[in-house]
Amino acid sequence: MTWQVLLSTMLLQMKQSFVRPMFRFCLLANPVLNTILICEMFRSSGRTDFAAYAVLGAGLMGLWCCICFSSAGDLNRERYMGTLSLLFAVPAPVETVLWGKILGNTLLSLGTLLLAWLTAGVLYETWAIPARPGWLLLVLVITILCFLQVSVLTAWLLTLSRKTTLYMNCLELPVVFLCGFVVPVEELPAWLQAISNLLPPTWAVRLLRMAVAGVPDENAFWRCLGILAVLMLAAGLLSRRCGRAVDRRVRVLGNLEVC
Amino acid sequence: MEPVIEVRDLRRDYVTSKGLLRRKTQTVRAVDGVSFTVERGEIFGMLGQNGAGKTTTIKMLITLLAPTSGVCRVLGCDTFGQEKQIRPRINFIFGGEMGVYRRLSARDNLKYFGNLYGVPPRLRDERIEEILRLVDLEEAADRLAETYSKGMLQRLQIARGLINDPEIVFMDEPTVGLDPLGAHMLRDIIRRLRDAGKTVLLTTHYLPEAEELCDRMVILNRGKIAASGTPAQIRGAEETMEDAYLRLIREVEV
Ligand SMILES: Nc1ncnc2c1ncn2[C@@H]1O[C@H](COP(=O)(O)OP(=O)(O)OP(=O)(O)O)[C@@H](O)[C@H]1O
Ligand SMILES: [Mg+2]
Repeated sequence: MTWQVLLSTMLLQMKQSFVRPMFRFCLLANPVLNTILICEMFRSSGRTDFAAYAVLGAGLMGLWCCICFSSAGDLNRERYMGTLSLLFAVPAPVETVLWGKILGNTLLSLGTLLLAWLTAGVLYETWAIPARPGWLLLVLVITILCFLQVSVLTAWLLTLSRKTTLYMNCLELPVVFLCGFVVPVEELPAWLQAISNLLPPTWAVRLLRMAVAGVPDENAFWRCLGILAVLMLAAGLLSRRCGRAVDRRVRVLGNLEVC
Repeated sequence: MEPVIEVRDLRRDYVTSKGLLRRKTQTVRAVDGVSFTVERGEIFGMLGQNGAGKTTTIKMLITLLAPTSGVCRVLGCDTFGQEKQIRPRINFIFGGEMGVYRRLSARDNLKYFGNLYGVPPRLRDERIEEILRLVDLEEAADRLAETYSKGMLQRLQIARGLINDPEIVFMDEPTVGLDPLGAHMLRDIIRRLRDAGKTVLLTTHYLPEAEELCDRMVILNRGKIAASGTPAQIRGAEETMEDAYLRLIREVEV
């Protein structure tokens, strides 16, 4: 039953998201524009690996934009459609439904990475070829899981409030910088780096870079992966507890609807 | 006789706050010490003025809202804390155009909710055909719900409320927006549910409907029960239900 709920929610979400103009913008236009922007920024820096940065940076920004706006925005849309409260009243765990929704959005959003890669290749003739395709594949799967987790946690917190759209806008850019989607985290002030290093996506992005650019020391890659695994486990536990608490809280507050 | 709904001294407060600095909180007591029981197989009505607390009571019964205090049990389980046992066995129909995925067809809506209720696919599809026929949406079943009229959306809601073959159906103003034929169809569905041994709790502002359908009813006023009994008992010596209702509300308001 759980799988069926997860799958049908995912398909439903993909259908609903794709027909929305804003989502299509995030998915199709955003990665192309961002790739061009970042490529122009890095071209004069003299770095030879700018393609990898640009593709990853723009792709990840697009991915995050899609996930962030949709996980929060969809909750609000459901609130206004009156379906949000239904999802809390059916026998299927609302947690499964949430995962299904975000999984659907994330899978669709993966297109941004592909688009960014194509843009950099076609316009700048820099076909970013990953140094370690095997690693890349592995890391991509883990990155998706990691992003899923972050958005599930965010979505839980956002159900508590009716001001979802406000928070959603406040959330997008800080994560882009804190997790080093575009600029490496090492360029940030030390106190910010401390925060960055607690966020799982930071490590996922590091791993992606290593897989794309290659590393002199293989152990660094595996160490990074270990740290990410621990952080994700912690985030997973937090998300579970948070979900249980929110599920109770919304019924005490009674704010699943607009009235 | 088996009580399937048990409400005792039920209260629900809504706390709202206003203002950014100097937050002011305001408490509204929507349901104020309500008690009643509903037996299996009954059609039970809840009447009352706008804001009397009918929807709030229903939301607590369908596990969507936590009671502030008091007992609120459905099928022998607490609606807050034991909701897992209750949810698969009940369903609800709210009046209006909300609660439908507009970008999906009626059939896809029903399929999805069938999944959320854990109905096995074969049974689900059979039941969908049957329900679509029942609410007269067969022809429009594969059109997107955003192209439906108000009454059609309402019919879809009714269909959704039957998808898990519930033992108890809670209906909050289910005939709102339905044409006379549609309202007649719904009353038929309600009677059919009773014949199948199901329990129905419904609210309505349409007094003749309540009188015709309900075995017993309560009249709520400002969160409290103003009267309860069979329609005949409530009507008493008055000529119509409306006369009785107006007298009752005026009496308690004074
Ligand atoms: N989410 C909420 N937050 C604050 N107050 C609320 C909320 N929902 C309902 N109320 C208040 O609770 C009271 C009862 O509302 P309720 O919706 O239960 O009435 P009702 O009997 O269903 O009325 P109607 O016939 O208009 O549907 C009203 O005073 C209403 O303002
Ligand atoms: Mg109401």
